Amino acid sequence: MKALFNYLIFPGFIFSLVIGGMGWWLERKFTARFQYRVGPPWYQTFLDILKLFLKETIIPGGASKILFILSPLLTFSAVLMFNLMLTENYFLDKSFVGDILVMLYLLIIPSLFIILGASSSRNPLALVGASRETKLMLSYEFIFIISLVIIIIKSNGNLMLADILNNQINRGMYLKSASGTIGFILALFYIQAKLGIVPFDAAEAEQEIMSGTAIEYSGPLLGFYRIAKTLLYFSLPLFVIALFGQIAINNPLHKYSAFVIEYVLILLLISVIKNINPRLRIKEILGFFWFFLFPLGILGIILAIKGL
Amino acid sequence: MDFKNILLFDSLSKLVGTFIIFFTAVIFIYSLGFIKSKKLEYYFWFFLTSIVSLGVVFSANLIYIVIFWGFLGMSLFKLVNLYSYTDKDIARAAKKSFIIVGGSDGFLLFGFLIYSYITASTLVAGNIILINTPLSLLSFIFIAIGCFAKAGCMPFHIWVPEVAEKASIPVVAYLPASLDKLLGIYLLARIVKDFFVLNDIAKIILLVAGGLTVICAVMMALIQHNAKKLLGYHAVSQVGYMVLGISCGSPLGLAAGLFHMVNNAIYKSCLFLNIGNVEKSSGTVELEKLGGLGKFMPITFLTTLIASLSISGIPPLNGFISKWMVYQGLIDFMNSAGSLTLKFTIALSLVFALIGSGLTLASFLKLNAGIFLGNPEKEVKEAGKLLLFTPVILSLLCLIFGIFAYSTILKFIQKSAGSFVEIGLWQPQLATYLIIAGLVLGLIIFSIMKKKVRTSASFIGGEELLPTEEVKIGDFYNAIKEMPLLKNIYKFAEEKIFDIYELLKKFAFIIIRFLRYLHNGILSTYLVWCLIGAIGLFFYLFK
Repeated sequence: MKALFNYLIFPGFIFSLVIGGMGWWLERKFTARFQYRVGPPWYQTFLDILKLFLKETIIPGGASKILFILSPLLTFSAVLMFNLMLTENYFLDKSFVGDILVMLYLLIIPSLFIILGASSSRNPLALVGASRETKLMLSYEFIFIISLVIIIIKSNGNLMLADILNNQINRGMYLKSASGTIGFILALFYIQAKLGIVPFDAAEAEQEIMSGTAIEYSGPLLGFYRIAKTLLYFSLPLFVIALFGQIAINNPLHKYSAFVIEYVLILLLISVIKNINPRLRIKEILGFFWFFLFPLGILGIILAIKGL
Repeated sequence: MDFKNILLFDSLSKLVGTFIIFFTAVIFIYSLGFIKSKKLEYYFWFFLTSIVSLGVVFSANLIYIVIFWGFLGMSLFKLVNLYSYTDKDIARAAKKSFIIVGGSDGFLLFGFLIYSYITASTLVAGNIILINTPLSLLSFIFIAIGCFAKAGCMPFHIWVPEVAEKASIPVVAYLPASLDKLLGIYLLARIVKDFFVLNDIAKIILLVAGGLTVICAVMMALIQHNAKKLLGYHAVSQVGYMVLGISCGSPLGLAAGLFHMVNNAIYKSCLFLNIGNVEKSSGTVELEKLGGLGKFMPITFLTTLIASLSISGIPPLNGFISKWMVYQGLIDFMNSAGSLTLKFTIALSLVFALIGSGLTLASFLKLNAGIFLGNPEKEVKEAGKLLLFTPVILSLLCLIFGIFAYSTILKFIQKSAGSFVEIGLWQPQLATYLIIAGLVLGLIIFSIMKKKVRTSASFIGGEELLPTEEVKIGDFYNAIKEMPLLKNIYKFAEEKIFDIYELLKKFAFIIIRFLRYLHNGILSTYLVWCLIGAIGLFFYLFK
C-alpha cells in the first residue's frame, strides 16, 4: 500500500507532475517576461495536457501500429521510473532500483522511443525529425556521460546517489571545485538539449518541420509524451542539483527551500540561454558539443583526477 | 593413466564449454533450414569446429591448445570458402581471415614457448608468474595477440567485417559471432586468471586496445549501408567491452568480461540469423533497398528489436547488465589505481565505453528503422519455422539473462571468476515490474479518457503523402561523416590506412620488389653480385 502511495502520489507520479508542470510554466513565464508579454497562468501546463486527453486519437495509415502506440507509453513508463528512483533517493533517503549509471541508461529510453515512434509513422518530416534526434542524442548524451564520470571520480568511485548526496553534505558541494563547475556546465547544456529547448530544438523545429518527431501524434498519445516531458522538467534539474549542488545542511526544511531556489535558478539559466540564441543547425550543434564541450569535459576529468 | 595433465574441467572451461555446445545446437537447427547446397562438406566442417573448440577449452596442456587452435583457423577458412564459386570476393575474404588468424597463431605459439620456458612446464593451470621481466611481458603480449585476432579485437579485427559481409549467414553466426568470441575471450580470461599477474603496462595495453576497439569499430559501423557489414563492425566493437572488463584483473572485471562474452554471443548470433532471414526473404541486405518489412515479418522484427536493444544496453535486457558490470569493474579499478596516468587511462576508457554504447544504439536505430519501418517496396514472406526457432530462443535468453540474471547465469559466472562485491545497485526484476506498472498506468489513463481512435492518411502541406517523398534512413549519419576531423579519419579508413592486412601486404610488396630487382635473370648482374660478395668476404677475413 505504501509502495503504491509512493509510486502514484508522493514522491512519485502526481507530486513530480505538479512540480514539473510548475517548472515548465515558470520557464514559459520567464520567456514571456523576456519578450515583454504577460505569460500564461500557473495552471496552463495542466490544461494543455488535459486538453490532449479529451481529443480523439488519429493513427496514420501505413504506420506500424503497435510500435506507434507503444512508444509514447514506454517513454512515459521509463521516465516515471527514473523519476521515482531519483525522488526516493532525494526525499526519502532510500536507495532504489539502481545507481547513477542505471539512471543514465534509463534516460536514453525516452529519446530511443521518440525516434522509433517517429520512424514508425512513415511520415517524411517525422523521419527528418528522427534523424535529427539521433544526432542530437549522440551529442548531448556524450557530454552528460563525461559529467557523470567527473562525479564518479570526485566521489571516489561511489555510484549510489544517496552516498553522493552524503558526500557533498559532509565535504561541501561538488559545484565549488573547478572540475565540478565544468561538469555542471556540461550538465546544464544536457538539460537544455534533452528537453529540446532552443537553441537545440532542431528535432522538433515547429516552423521548419512542423514538430518533426511529434508530427503524426495527436490526442492522448501526444499527451503521454507531454506528461513525460513535464516529468523531465522536474527530474532533470533535480538530478543535476543532487549531483552537483547539494547544500551542506541536514535540516529538511532548509534542504527543500535550498532545492527550490536552485531549481528556479537553473530554470532561469535555461530560459536565458533559450532567449538569447536562435535555433542551431545540426552540424553546428554537433560541432559545439563534440569540439567545444567534449574537450572541456576531458579537461574536467583531468582536473578531477588531480583532485581539483 | 593420469588425466589431470590432459583434461581440465574447472568452472571456467565448463562455462565456456556449455555455451559452445549450446550454440552448436541452435545454429545447427538454423542451418537445417538455411543450407541447401554442399551439405556434406558444410556439416563436416561445422561439427569439426565444435569438436576442436571443445578441445581447446578442455585441454590442460599448452601443446594441445595450440594444435586445436590451428585446426580452428583451417575450419574457419573452409567454412567461409565453401561457397566461393558464387562470388570471388568470398575467396578473398576467406584468404584474408586465414592469413590474419593463422599468422596470429604463430604469435600464440611463440608466446606459449616463452611462457613454458619461464615456468618449465606446459600445463595450463597452476603456474602463475609475475610480469616483471621483458621476456614475460613479451610472452603476455604474444598470447594476447593470438586472443585478439581470434576474438576480433583491434588492430587484428579486419577479417571480421569482411567475413561477416561475404560468408553465408550460419557460418558468420557460428564462427565470428559466437564461437570465436567465446574461445578468444576464454583464452584471454585464462591467461589473466591462471598464467600471469598483470602489471601496469600489461593493463594499459589491454585498456587501450579495448577502449579503442569499442569506439573506432562503432564509428565505422555507424556509416555502413550494408546490414551484414554493419553487424560485423559491431561484432568487433563489443569485444572491446570484454577486453576492458578483463583488463581490470579483479574478479568483478573478469566476471563482467565473461558475462559480456556470453551475452554478446547470444544477441549477436540472433541478429546475424535474423539478417539471414531478411536476406532469404527479400534477397538483399542493403539498407537503401529495404524498408517496411516489419509488417510482413513480425517475429523477425520483434526478435531483432529485442536483440538490438540488448546490444545497445537498454535496461532491463542482458546487454545492459554486463556492460554495467564492466563499468563497475573499471571504476573499482580506477579507485585502486596508483599512478595518475593509469587513472586517466581508465577514466578515458570508461568514457569511450559509455559513449560507444550510445553510438551502438544510434546505429541499431538506423538498422531497425531502415529494414523494418518505412515504406515497403514489395511484399515478402516471413521466414519458415525452422529459421525462426533459433532467433526466438536467443531473444528469449536475452530477456531471461537480463531480468533474472542474478538467479541464473551470474551464479555460474561467479563460480568461474571468483566471488566479487558489486559497487553499484541494479534490481532488474523490480525495474521490470515498475516498467510494467507504468505501462498499466498509462493504459488505465488511456482507457478512462478514451475517445475515438481512427486511422487516417498522412498529409504534408495539405497534400496526401506520395511514396517518392520518403526520406532514406541509410543516410541518417551523413552529417557525422562530414564533420571536420572525422571526415579525414573516415577517408583514411576507406583508403585502408588502418588495415593491418593491407599494411603487411604493402610491406611484403616492398621486400618482393627489392628481391625482384636483384633476381632479374641476367647472368652478368649475378656475377657482379658474386664479385661484390667475394670482395666483402675477403675484407672481413683478412682485415
